Amino acid sequence: MVHTMTAPPTTGTRDSDLLEESLTRPEAFSALFDRYSGMLYRYVSRRLGPEVAEDLVGETFLVAFGRRAHYDLAYADARPWLFGIATKLVSRHHRTEAARYRALRRAPVEGVVESPAERVVAEVAARTSRPVLAGALAGLAAKDRDVLLLIAWCDLSYEEVARSLGIPVGTVRSRLNRARRKVRAALGDADPMHEEE
Amino acid sequence: MDDLTMLRRLGEDLEHEPPATLALQRRRLPDGLPGAPSRPLNRPRWIRGWAMIGLAAAITAAVLVAPTVLLENLGRVAAPVPSPTGARPTKPNEALNVLLVGTDGRPGPAFRGNGLDARSDTMVLLHLSADRGRVGVVSIPRDSMVRIPACVSPAGTAVPARTDMINSAFATGGLSCVWKTVEILTKVRVDHAMEIDFSGFREMVDALGGIEITVPQAVDDPKAKLKLRKGRQILNGEQALGYVRARYSLGDGTDLERIKRQQRFMRALAQKAGGLLTDPVRLSAFLDKASAAIRTDAGLDLPTMRSIFDSLKETRPEAVEFVTVPVRPHPADPHRLEWDRSAAERLFTRLREDAG
Repeated sequence: MVHTMTAPPTTGTRDSDLLEESLTRPEAFSALFDRYSGMLYRYVSRRLGPEVAEDLVGETFLVAFGRRAHYDLAYADARPWLFGIATKLVSRHHRTEAARYRALRRAPVEGVVESPAERVVAEVAARTSRPVLAGALAGLAAKDRDVLLLIAWCDLSYEEVARSLGIPVGTVRSRLNRARRKVRAALGDADPMHEEE
Repeated sequence: MDDLTMLRRLGEDLEHEPPATLALQRRRLPDGLPGAPSRPLNRPRWIRGWAMIGLAAAITAAVLVAPTVLLENLGRVAAPVPSPTGARPTKPNEALNVLLVGTDGRPGPAFRGNGLDARSDTMVLLHLSADRGRVGVVSIPRDSMVRIPACVSPAGTAVPARTDMINSAFATGGLSCVWKTVEILTKVRVDHAMEIDFSGFREMVDALGGIEITVPQAVDDPKAKLKLRKGRQILNGEQALGYVRARYSLGDGTDLERIKRQQRFMRALAQKAGGLLTDPVRLSAFLDKASAAIRTDAGLDLPTMRSIFDSLKETRPEAVEFVTVPVRPHPADPHRLEWDRSAAERLFTRLREDAG
Protein backbone atom coordinates (compact mmCIF):
# COMPACT_ATOMS: atom_id res chain seq x y z
CA MET A 1 0.00 0.00 0.00
CA VAL A 2 1.44 3.29 1.09
CA HIS A 3 4.87 2.90 -0.29
CA THR A 4 6.27 6.35 0.19
CA MET A 5 5.10 8.01 -2.90
CA THR A 6 8.61 8.63 -4.11
CA ALA A 7 9.14 4.94 -4.54
CA PRO A 8 8.56 3.75 -8.09
CA PRO A 9 6.90 0.38 -8.59
CA THR A 10 9.57 -2.09 -7.68
CA THR A 11 7.73 -5.36 -7.98
CA GLY A 12 9.78 -7.90 -9.81
CA THR A 13 12.83 -5.67 -9.82
CA ARG A 14 16.06 -7.56 -9.25
CA ASP A 15 18.12 -6.72 -6.19
CA SER A 16 21.04 -5.77 -8.42
CA ASP A 17 18.80 -3.31 -10.31
CA LEU A 18 17.82 -1.71 -7.04
CA LEU A 19 21.44 -1.49 -5.96
CA GLU A 20 22.44 0.04 -9.26
CA GLU A 21 19.58 2.51 -9.07
CA SER A 22 20.50 3.39 -5.48
CA LEU A 23 23.87 4.73 -6.67
CA THR A 24 22.15 7.69 -8.22
CA ARG A 25 18.90 7.55 -6.27
CA PRO A 26 19.74 6.48 -2.69
CA GLU A 27 16.12 6.10 -1.69
CA ALA A 28 15.85 3.06 -3.99
CA PHE A 29 17.91 1.27 -1.36
CA SER A 30 15.06 1.24 1.13
CA ALA A 31 13.25 -1.29 -1.07
CA LEU A 32 15.98 -3.76 -0.12
CA PHE A 33 15.25 -3.09 3.51
CA ASP A 34 11.59 -3.82 2.91
CA ARG A 35 12.46 -7.03 1.14
CA TYR A 36 15.01 -8.50 3.47
CA SER A 37 14.88 -6.95 6.94
CA GLY A 38 12.50 -9.66 8.17
CA MET A 39 14.64 -12.44 6.74
CA LEU A 40 17.78 -11.04 8.34
CA TYR A 41 15.99 -10.53 11.64
CA ARG A 42 15.01 -14.19 11.75
CA TYR A 43 18.57 -15.25 11.03
CA VAL A 44 20.14 -12.98 13.64
CA SER A 45 17.48 -13.84 16.23
CA ARG A 46 18.48 -17.49 15.88
CA ARG A 47 22.11 -16.73 16.57
CA LEU A 48 21.94 -13.92 19.10
CA GLY A 49 18.36 -13.79 20.33
CA PRO A 50 15.79 -11.04 19.86
CA GLU A 51 17.46 -8.48 22.14
CA VAL A 52 20.27 -7.62 19.76
CA ALA A 53 18.66 -8.64 16.50
CA GLU A 54 16.69 -5.49 15.77
CA ASP A 55 19.67 -3.22 16.15
CA LEU A 56 21.97 -5.52 14.25
CA VAL A 57 19.63 -5.69 11.27
CA GLY A 58 19.55 -1.90 11.17
CA GLU A 59 23.33 -1.86 11.26
CA THR A 60 23.55 -4.46 8.51
CA PHE A 61 21.62 -2.21 6.17
CA LEU A 62 23.65 0.79 7.20
CA VAL A 63 26.88 -1.04 6.33
CA ALA A 64 25.35 -2.41 3.13
CA PHE A 65 24.28 1.07 2.13
CA GLY A 66 27.81 2.34 2.61
CA ARG A 67 29.24 -0.46 0.51
CA ARG A 68 26.65 -0.56 -2.22
CA ALA A 69 29.05 0.92 -4.75
CA HIS A 70 31.26 -2.17 -4.36
CA TYR A 71 28.46 -4.64 -5.02
CA ASP A 72 29.09 -6.88 -8.01
CA LEU A 73 26.04 -6.19 -10.16
CA ALA A 74 26.53 -9.47 -11.99
CA TYR A 75 24.73 -11.14 -9.08
CA ALA A 76 21.00 -10.47 -9.22
CA ASP A 77 20.33 -11.86 -5.73
CA ALA A 78 21.69 -9.69 -2.92
CA ARG A 79 20.83 -12.10 -0.12
CA PRO A 80 24.25 -13.77 0.17
CA TRP A 81 25.85 -10.33 0.35
CA LEU A 82 23.45 -9.19 3.09
CA PHE A 83 23.79 -12.47 5.01
CA GLY A 84 27.56 -12.01 4.81
CA ILE A 85 27.43 -8.53 6.29
CA ALA A 86 25.07 -9.65 9.03
CA THR A 87 27.30 -12.64 9.78
CA LYS A 88 30.35 -10.42 10.18
CA LEU A 89 28.41 -8.21 12.57
CA VAL A 90 27.17 -11.26 14.47
CA SER A 91 30.77 -12.33 15.00
CA ARG A 92 31.32 -9.23 17.11
CA HIS A 93 28.92 -10.79 19.57
CA HIS A 94 30.54 -14.22 19.63
CA ARG A 95 30.46 -14.30 23.42
CA THR A 96 26.71 -13.68 23.46
CA GLU A 97 26.24 -16.33 20.85
CA ALA A 98 28.26 -19.00 22.60
CA ALA A 99 26.53 -18.19 25.90
CA ARG A 100 23.16 -18.51 24.17
CA TYR A 101 23.95 -22.02 22.94
CA ARG A 102 25.49 -23.00 26.25
CA ALA A 103 22.37 -21.86 28.09
CA LEU A 104 20.37 -24.07 25.79
CA ARG A 105 22.64 -26.95 26.66
CA ARG A 106 21.82 -26.52 30.31
CA ALA A 107 18.13 -25.78 29.97
CA PRO A 108 16.90 -27.21 26.71
CA VAL A 109 13.35 -25.94 26.91
CA GLU A 110 13.67 -22.53 28.42
CA GLY A 111 13.83 -19.60 26.08
CA VAL A 112 12.92 -21.76 23.16
CA VAL A 113 10.01 -20.71 21.00
CA GLU A 114 7.02 -22.94 21.38
CA SER A 115 6.68 -25.39 18.55
CA PRO A 116 3.45 -26.81 17.16
CA ALA A 117 2.00 -29.48 19.35
CA GLU A 118 1.90 -32.38 16.90
CA ARG A 119 5.26 -33.47 15.72
CA VAL A 120 6.49 -36.88 14.85
CA VAL A 121 8.72 -39.25 16.72
CA ALA A 122 11.80 -38.01 14.92
CA GLU A 123 11.09 -34.69 16.50
CA VAL A 124 11.40 -36.22 19.93
CA ALA A 125 14.83 -37.47 19.01
CA ALA A 126 15.71 -34.01 17.76
CA ARG A 127 14.53 -32.47 20.99
CA THR A 128 16.43 -34.80 23.24
CA SER A 129 19.60 -34.26 21.26
CA ARG A 130 19.12 -30.48 21.19
CA PRO A 131 21.25 -29.75 24.25
CA VAL A 132 24.05 -31.76 22.71
CA LEU A 133 23.66 -30.00 19.40
CA ALA A 134 23.69 -26.61 21.05
CA GLY A 135 26.76 -27.58 23.04
CA ALA A 136 28.51 -28.63 19.85
CA LEU A 137 27.63 -25.30 18.19
CA ALA A 138 29.03 -23.41 21.15
CA GLY A 139 32.26 -25.38 20.85
CA LEU A 140 32.88 -24.74 17.15
CA ALA A 141 35.47 -22.30 15.89
CA ALA A 142 33.62 -19.11 14.97
CA LYS A 143 34.63 -19.29 11.30
CA ASP A 144 33.48 -22.89 10.97
CA ARG A 145 30.20 -22.04 12.66
CA ASP A 146 29.56 -19.16 10.27
CA VAL A 147 29.88 -21.48 7.28
CA LEU A 148 27.80 -24.24 8.85
CA LEU A 149 24.95 -21.92 9.78
CA LEU A 150 24.92 -20.05 6.47
CA ILE A 151 24.38 -23.45 4.86
CA ALA A 152 21.96 -24.94 7.38
CA TRP A 153 19.97 -21.86 8.35
CA CYS A 154 20.20 -19.54 5.35
CA ASP A 155 20.08 -22.21 2.64
CA LEU A 156 23.00 -20.70 0.79
CA SER A 157 24.96 -22.80 -1.69
CA TYR A 158 28.72 -23.32 -1.26
CA GLU A 159 29.36 -20.71 -3.92
CA GLU A 160 27.05 -18.22 -2.22
CA VAL A 161 28.71 -18.78 1.14
CA ALA A 162 32.09 -18.23 -0.49
CA ARG A 163 30.86 -14.98 -1.98
CA SER A 164 29.18 -13.78 1.19
CA LEU A 165 32.25 -14.33 3.37
CA GLY A 166 34.79 -13.46 0.71
CA ILE A 167 36.61 -16.83 0.91
CA PRO A 168 37.38 -19.52 -1.71
CA VAL A 169 34.86 -22.32 -2.24
CA GLY A 170 37.49 -24.83 -1.18
CA THR A 171 37.70 -23.13 2.18
CA VAL A 172 33.92 -23.28 2.52
CA ARG A 173 34.04 -27.03 1.96
CA SER A 174 36.82 -27.65 4.42
CA ARG A 175 35.24 -25.49 7.14
CA LEU A 176 31.87 -27.12 6.60
CA ASN A 177 33.36 -30.61 6.76
CA ARG A 178 35.21 -29.83 9.94
CA ALA A 179 32.13 -28.33 11.54
CA ARG A 180 29.86 -31.20 10.56
CA ARG A 181 32.40 -33.74 11.76
CA LYS A 182 32.41 -32.13 15.18
CA VAL A 183 28.65 -31.88 15.34
CA ARG A 184 28.20 -35.48 14.30
CA ALA A 185 30.81 -36.63 16.78
CA ALA A 186 28.96 -34.84 19.56
CA LEU A 187 25.65 -36.32 18.46
CA GLY A 188 27.11 -39.77 17.99
CA ASP A 189 28.66 -39.77 21.44
CA ALA A 190 25.50 -38.68 23.13
CA ASP A 191 22.82 -40.36 21.12
CA PRO A 192 23.00 -44.11 20.66
CA MET A 193 19.93 -43.92 18.40
CA HIS A 194 21.82 -41.89 15.88
CA GLU A 195 23.27 -43.76 12.93
CA GLU A 196 26.09 -42.50 10.83
CA GLU A 197 25.15 -42.05 7.21
CA MET B 1 17.67 -37.60 10.67
CA ASP B 2 21.01 -36.16 9.69
CA ASP B 3 22.92 -33.46 11.48
CA LEU B 4 21.92 -30.69 9.06
CA THR B 5 18.23 -31.51 9.47
CA MET B 6 18.59 -31.49 13.23
CA LEU B 7 20.40 -28.18 13.03
CA ARG B 8 17.57 -26.75 10.94
CA ARG B 9 15.06 -27.82 13.56
CA LEU B 10 17.13 -26.23 16.27
CA GLY B 11 17.30 -23.07 14.18
CA GLU B 12 13.53 -22.97 13.78
CA ASP B 13 13.09 -23.28 17.50
CA LEU B 14 15.52 -20.49 18.20
CA GLU B 15 13.97 -18.15 15.68
CA HIS B 16 11.96 -15.10 16.64
CA GLU B 17 9.44 -13.30 14.46
CA PRO B 18 10.42 -9.77 13.54
CA PRO B 19 8.56 -7.22 15.68
CA ALA B 20 6.61 -4.43 14.01
CA THR B 21 9.17 -1.98 15.36
CA LEU B 22 11.83 -3.45 13.09
CA ALA B 23 10.55 -1.11 10.39
CA LEU B 24 11.86 1.79 12.47
CA GLN B 25 15.39 0.61 11.72
CA ARG B 26 14.86 1.78 8.17
CA ARG B 27 15.15 5.30 9.51
CA ARG B 28 18.80 4.71 10.28
CA LEU B 29 19.57 4.63 6.61
CA PRO B 30 21.20 7.89 5.66
CA ASP B 31 18.66 10.60 5.24
CA GLY B 32 20.61 11.81 2.26
CA LEU B 33 17.67 11.00 0.11
CA PRO B 34 17.92 14.11 -1.98
CA GLY B 35 14.78 15.29 -3.62
CA ALA B 36 12.49 12.86 -1.86
CA PRO B 37 9.31 14.92 -1.79
CA SER B 38 7.85 13.08 1.18
CA ARG B 39 10.81 14.13 3.31
CA PRO B 40 11.53 17.74 2.53
CA LEU B 41 15.01 18.66 3.68
CA ASN B 42 13.75 21.80 5.33
CA ARG B 43 11.34 19.95 7.55
CA PRO B 44 12.28 20.58 11.18
CA ARG B 45 13.95 17.58 12.78
CA TRP B 46 11.64 17.42 15.72
CA ILE B 47 8.66 16.49 13.62
CA ARG B 48 10.23 13.21 12.69
CA GLY B 49 11.15 12.69 16.30
CA TRP B 50 7.62 13.22 17.46
CA ALA B 51 6.16 11.10 14.75
CA MET B 52 8.46 8.26 15.66
CA ILE B 53 7.84 8.41 19.35
CA GLY B 54 4.16 8.64 18.70
CA LEU B 55 4.22 5.67 16.41
CA ALA B 56 6.30 3.57 18.70
CA ALA B 57 4.13 4.42 21.64
CA ALA B 58 0.87 3.90 19.82
CA ILE B 59 1.90 0.68 18.18
CA THR B 60 3.48 -0.71 21.28
CA ALA B 61 0.49 0.18 23.35
CA ALA B 62 -1.86 -1.29 20.81
CA VAL B 63 0.11 -4.45 20.24
CA LEU B 64 1.20 -5.22 23.76
CA VAL B 65 -1.12 -3.72 26.27
CA ALA B 66 -4.48 -3.78 24.63
CA PRO B 67 -4.72 -7.47 23.80
CA THR B 68 -3.16 -8.70 27.02
CA VAL B 69 -5.07 -6.38 29.23
CA LEU B 70 -8.00 -4.64 27.72
CA LEU B 71 -9.53 -7.59 25.93
CA GLU B 72 -9.58 -9.60 29.11
CA ASN B 73 -11.52 -6.89 30.79
CA LEU B 74 -15.16 -7.36 30.02
CA GLY B 75 -16.69 -4.06 30.97
CA ARG B 76 -15.53 -0.88 29.41
CA VAL B 77 -15.47 2.02 31.84
CA ALA B 78 -15.48 5.12 29.69
CA ALA B 79 -18.43 6.10 27.54
CA PRO B 80 -17.89 5.23 23.88
CA VAL B 81 -16.83 7.91 21.41
CA PRO B 82 -19.72 8.95 19.16
CA SER B 83 -18.99 8.54 15.47
CA PRO B 84 -19.08 11.64 13.26
CA THR B 85 -22.42 13.07 12.22
CA GLY B 86 -23.37 14.40 8.80
CA ALA B 87 -22.17 13.24 5.39
CA ARG B 88 -19.27 10.82 5.55
CA PRO B 89 -17.01 9.24 2.93
CA THR B 90 -18.39 5.96 1.62
CA LYS B 91 -16.72 2.68 2.44
CA PRO B 92 -15.48 1.37 -0.92
CA ASN B 93 -13.88 -1.90 0.17
CA GLU B 94 -13.15 -4.14 3.12
CA ALA B 95 -9.99 -2.34 4.13
CA LEU B 96 -10.10 -1.02 7.67
CA ASN B 97 -9.00 2.43 8.76
CA VAL B 98 -8.58 3.21 12.43
CA LEU B 99 -7.72 6.58 13.87
CA LEU B 100 -5.47 6.33 16.93
CA VAL B 101 -5.01 9.38 19.08
CA GLY B 102 -2.56 9.32 21.95
CA THR B 103 -3.01 11.98 24.61
CA ASP B 104 -0.80 13.22 27.38
CA GLY B 105 -3.82 12.96 29.62
CA ARG B 106 -3.01 15.42 32.39
CA PRO B 107 -4.03 14.44 35.91
CA GLY B 108 -7.01 12.19 36.05
CA PRO B 109 -8.84 10.51 33.22
CA ALA B 110 -8.54 12.65 30.13
CA PHE B 111 -12.10 12.14 29.12
CA ARG B 112 -14.11 12.81 32.19
CA GLY B 113 -16.56 14.86 30.20
CA ASN B 114 -15.30 17.97 28.57
CA GLY B 115 -12.02 16.53 27.33
CA LEU B 116 -10.60 20.02 27.58
CA ASP B 117 -7.68 19.14 29.76
CA ALA B 118 -6.15 16.57 27.45
CA ARG B 119 -3.77 17.33 24.61
CA SER B 120 -3.25 15.01 21.72
CA ASP B 121 0.39 14.09 21.39
CA THR B 122 0.06 11.65 18.60
CA MET B 123 -2.28 11.07 15.72
CA VAL B 124 -1.99 8.01 13.60
CA LEU B 125 -4.20 6.63 10.89
CA LEU B 126 -3.85 2.90 10.82
CA HIS B 127 -4.75 1.24 7.53
CA LEU B 128 -5.31 -2.50 7.29
CA SER B 129 -5.67 -3.81 3.75
CA ALA B 130 -8.80 -5.77 2.84
CA ASP B 131 -6.88 -9.05 3.08
CA ARG B 132 -5.23 -7.77 6.30
CA GLY B 133 -1.86 -8.62 4.80
CA ARG B 134 -0.59 -5.07 4.72
CA VAL B 135 -0.57 -2.39 7.37
CA GLY B 136 -0.05 1.27 6.75
CA VAL B 137 0.74 3.65 9.57
CA VAL B 138 0.18 7.24 8.53
CA SER B 139 1.15 9.72 11.17
CA ILE B 140 -0.48 13.10 11.12
CA PRO B 141 1.74 15.88 12.47
CA ARG B 142 -0.16 17.50 15.28
CA ASP B 143 0.87 21.02 14.29
CA SER B 144 -0.71 20.74 10.85
CA MET B 145 -2.83 23.80 10.08
CA VAL B 146 -6.07 22.45 8.69
CA ARG B 147 -9.71 23.33 8.22
CA ILE B 148 -11.61 22.07 11.24
CA PRO B 149 -15.34 21.62 10.76
CA ALA B 150 -17.99 22.73 13.21
CA CYS B 151 -18.13 20.23 16.03
CA VAL B 152 -20.01 19.68 19.23
CA SER B 153 -17.73 19.35 22.22
CA PRO B 154 -18.12 16.33 24.52
CA ALA B 155 -19.75 18.72 26.99
CA GLY B 156 -22.36 19.65 24.40
CA THR B 157 -21.16 23.11 23.35
CA ALA B 158 -21.09 24.00 19.67
CA VAL B 159 -17.60 24.80 18.36
CA PRO B 160 -17.61 26.76 15.08
CA ALA B 161 -15.58 25.79 12.01
CA ARG B 162 -12.15 27.39 11.69
CA THR B 163 -8.61 26.95 10.43
CA ASP B 164 -6.32 25.82 13.22
CA MET B 165 -3.81 23.20 14.28
CA ILE B 166 -5.27 19.74 14.00
CA ASN B 167 -4.61 18.93 17.62
CA SER B 168 -6.86 21.80 18.62
CA ALA B 169 -9.71 19.80 17.10
CA PHE B 170 -9.07 17.29 19.84
CA ALA B 171 -8.67 19.85 22.58
CA THR B 172 -11.98 21.55 21.84
CA GLY B 173 -14.12 18.89 20.22
CA GLY B 174 -12.71 15.64 21.49
CA LEU B 175 -12.00 12.52 19.49
CA SER B 176 -15.20 12.70 17.39
CA CYS B 177 -14.15 16.11 16.14
CA VAL B 178 -10.70 14.85 15.10
CA TRP B 179 -12.41 11.91 13.46
CA LYS B 180 -14.68 14.20 11.46
CA THR B 181 -11.79 16.52 10.58
CA VAL B 182 -9.65 13.66 9.31
CA GLU B 183 -12.46 12.19 7.23
CA ILE B 184 -13.16 15.54 5.57
CA LEU B 185 -9.48 16.25 4.91
CA THR B 186 -8.61 12.82 3.57
CA LYS B 187 -11.94 11.65 2.14
CA VAL B 188 -10.95 8.32 3.68
CA ARG B 189 -13.71 6.50 5.50
CA VAL B 190 -12.38 6.03 9.03
CA ASP B 191 -14.11 2.98 10.46
CA HIS B 192 -13.05 3.29 14.05
CA ALA B 193 -11.34 5.62 16.44
CA MET B 194 -9.40 4.96 19.59
CA GLU B 195 -7.96 7.24 22.20
CA ILE B 196 -5.07 6.17 24.38
CA ASP B 197 -4.15 8.17 27.45
CA PHE B 198 -0.44 7.76 28.00
CA SER B 199 -0.54 9.34 31.41
CA GLY B 200 -2.68 6.39 32.40
CA PHE B 201 0.50 4.35 32.26
CA ARG B 202 1.69 6.02 35.42
CA GLU B 203 -1.35 4.74 37.25
CA MET B 204 -1.08 1.36 35.61
CA VAL B 205 2.48 1.01 36.85
CA ASP B 206 1.45 1.94 40.38
CA ALA B 207 -1.46 -0.47 40.28
CA LEU B 208 1.05 -3.17 39.38
CA GLY B 209 3.18 -2.29 42.37
CA GLY B 210 5.95 -0.90 40.18
CA ILE B 211 8.00 -2.27 37.32
CA GLU B 212 11.44 -3.76 37.66
CA ILE B 213 13.93 -2.19 35.26
CA THR B 214 17.70 -2.31 34.97
CA VAL B 215 19.05 1.20 34.72
CA PRO B 216 22.42 1.10 32.92
CA GLN B 217 23.81 4.24 34.54
CA ALA B 218 22.81 6.60 37.33
CA VAL B 219 20.42 9.30 36.18
CA ASP B 220 19.93 12.80 37.50
CA ASP B 221 17.74 14.66 35.06
CA PRO B 222 15.97 17.68 36.53
CA LYS B 223 14.25 18.25 33.19
CA ALA B 224 12.55 14.88 33.34
CA LYS B 225 12.32 15.17 37.16
CA LEU B 226 14.15 11.91 37.37
CA LYS B 227 16.79 10.71 39.78
CA LEU B 228 17.74 7.04 39.66
CA ARG B 229 20.64 4.98 40.86
CA LYS B 230 22.39 2.54 38.59
CA GLY B 231 21.24 -1.08 38.50
CA ARG B 232 18.16 -3.21 38.83
CA GLN B 233 15.34 -1.54 40.72
CA ILE B 234 11.63 -1.16 40.95
CA LEU B 235 10.30 2.05 39.47
CA ASN B 236 7.01 3.55 40.58
CA GLY B 237 4.66 5.16 38.09
CA GLU B 238 6.16 8.62 38.26
CA GLN B 239 9.72 7.34 37.91
CA ALA B 240 8.73 4.97 35.13
CA LEU B 241 7.18 7.78 33.16
CA GLY B 242 10.29 9.92 33.61
CA TYR B 243 12.40 6.97 32.59
CA VAL B 244 10.60 6.41 29.31
CA ARG B 245 10.44 10.11 28.51
CA ALA B 246 13.98 11.18 29.42
CA ARG B 247 16.14 11.77 26.45
CA TYR B 248 19.43 13.49 27.19
CA SER B 249 20.37 11.99 30.51
CA LEU B 250 20.01 8.40 29.38
CA GLY B 251 21.51 6.43 26.52
CA ASP B 252 22.89 8.21 23.50
CA GLY B 253 20.21 10.90 23.40
CA THR B 254 18.66 9.69 20.17
CA ASP B 255 14.98 9.13 19.58
CA LEU B 256 15.65 5.58 18.53
CA GLU B 257 17.32 4.90 21.82
CA ARG B 258 14.38 6.36 23.66
CA ILE B 259 11.92 4.34 21.63
CA LYS B 260 13.81 1.19 22.51
CA ARG B 261 13.72 2.12 26.16
CA GLN B 262 9.99 2.64 25.86
CA GLN B 263 9.60 -0.74 24.28
CA ARG B 264 11.63 -2.46 26.97
CA PHE B 265 9.50 -0.73 29.54
CA MET B 266 6.26 -1.71 27.81
CA ARG B 267 7.42 -5.27 27.57
CA ALA B 268 8.25 -5.33 31.27
CA LEU B 269 4.83 -3.84 31.95
CA ALA B 270 3.05 -6.43 29.85
CA GLN B 271 5.02 -9.21 31.52
CA LYS B 272 4.22 -7.97 34.97
CA ALA B 273 0.57 -7.64 34.02
CA GLY B 274 0.63 -11.18 32.67
CA GLY B 275 2.10 -12.42 35.91
CA LEU B 276 -0.79 -10.95 37.85
CA LEU B 277 -3.31 -13.47 36.66
CA THR B 278 -2.95 -15.26 39.98
CA ASP B 279 -3.41 -12.10 42.02
CA PRO B 280 -7.05 -11.14 41.45
CA VAL B 281 -7.11 -8.08 43.69
CA ARG B 282 -4.14 -6.40 42.10
CA LEU B 283 -5.17 -7.55 38.65
CA SER B 284 -8.57 -5.96 38.86
CA ALA B 285 -7.06 -2.69 40.09
CA PHE B 286 -4.73 -2.77 37.11
CA LEU B 287 -7.44 -3.58 34.61
CA ASP B 288 -9.46 -0.68 35.93
CA LYS B 289 -6.61 1.73 35.23
CA ALA B 290 -5.80 0.21 31.89
CA SER B 291 -9.31 0.28 30.56
CA ALA B 292 -9.73 3.83 31.79
CA ALA B 293 -6.78 4.78 29.64
CA ILE B 294 -8.28 3.49 26.42
CA ARG B 295 -11.48 4.69 24.86
CA THR B 296 -13.05 3.71 21.56
CA ASP B 297 -16.15 4.18 19.49
CA ALA B 298 -19.09 1.87 20.16
CA GLY B 299 -18.59 0.00 16.88
CA LEU B 300 -15.14 -1.13 17.91
CA ASP B 301 -16.36 -4.08 19.90
CA LEU B 302 -14.17 -6.78 21.36
CA PRO B 303 -14.19 -9.18 18.38
CA THR B 304 -13.36 -6.36 15.96
CA MET B 305 -10.61 -5.12 18.21
CA ARG B 306 -9.23 -8.58 18.60
CA SER B 307 -9.14 -9.08 14.86
CA ILE B 308 -7.31 -5.79 14.42
CA PHE B 309 -4.72 -6.68 17.03
CA ASP B 310 -4.38 -10.17 15.66
CA SER B 311 -3.66 -8.90 12.19
CA LEU B 312 -1.19 -6.41 13.63
CA LYS B 313 0.59 -9.17 15.45
CA GLU B 314 0.62 -11.46 12.41
CA THR B 315 1.73 -8.84 9.94
CA ARG B 316 5.27 -9.17 8.77
CA PRO B 317 7.24 -5.97 9.38
CA GLU B 318 8.13 -5.77 5.71
CA ALA B 319 4.43 -5.31 5.13
CA VAL B 320 4.14 -2.38 7.51
CA GLU B 321 4.68 0.96 5.88
CA PHE B 322 5.33 4.00 8.06
CA VAL B 323 4.49 7.27 6.37
CA THR B 324 3.99 10.82 7.52
CA VAL B 325 1.42 13.03 5.83
CA PRO B 326 3.51 15.16 3.46
CA VAL B 327 3.89 18.59 5.02
CA ARG B 328 5.93 21.74 4.65
CA PRO B 329 6.40 24.77 6.89
CA HIS B 330 3.35 26.99 6.91
CA PRO B 331 3.98 30.15 4.88
CA ALA B 332 2.43 32.37 7.53
CA ASP B 333 4.11 30.71 10.51
CA PRO B 334 7.22 28.55 10.09
CA HIS B 335 6.52 26.87 13.43
CA ARG B 336 3.35 25.38 11.99
CA LEU B 337 2.90 23.06 9.08
CA GLU B 338 0.69 22.86 6.07
CA TRP B 339 -0.09 19.74 4.11
CA ASP B 340 1.43 19.34 0.70
CA ARG B 341 -1.95 19.03 -0.97
CA SER B 342 -1.07 17.12 -4.12
CA ALA B 343 1.31 14.69 -2.39
CA ALA B 344 -1.16 14.16 0.43
CA GLU B 345 -3.92 13.55 -2.08
CA ARG B 346 -1.84 10.82 -3.76
CA LEU B 347 -1.25 9.18 -0.39
CA PHE B 348 -4.91 9.23 0.60
CA THR B 349 -6.05 8.05 -2.82
CA ARG B 350 -3.96 4.96 -2.21
CA LEU B 351 -5.57 4.52 1.18
CA ARG B 352 -9.06 4.90 -0.28
CA GLU B 353 -8.35 2.46 -3.06
CA ASP B 354 -6.47 0.08 -0.77
CA ALA B 355 -3.74 0.07 -3.43
CA GLY B 356 -0.61 -1.93 -2.63
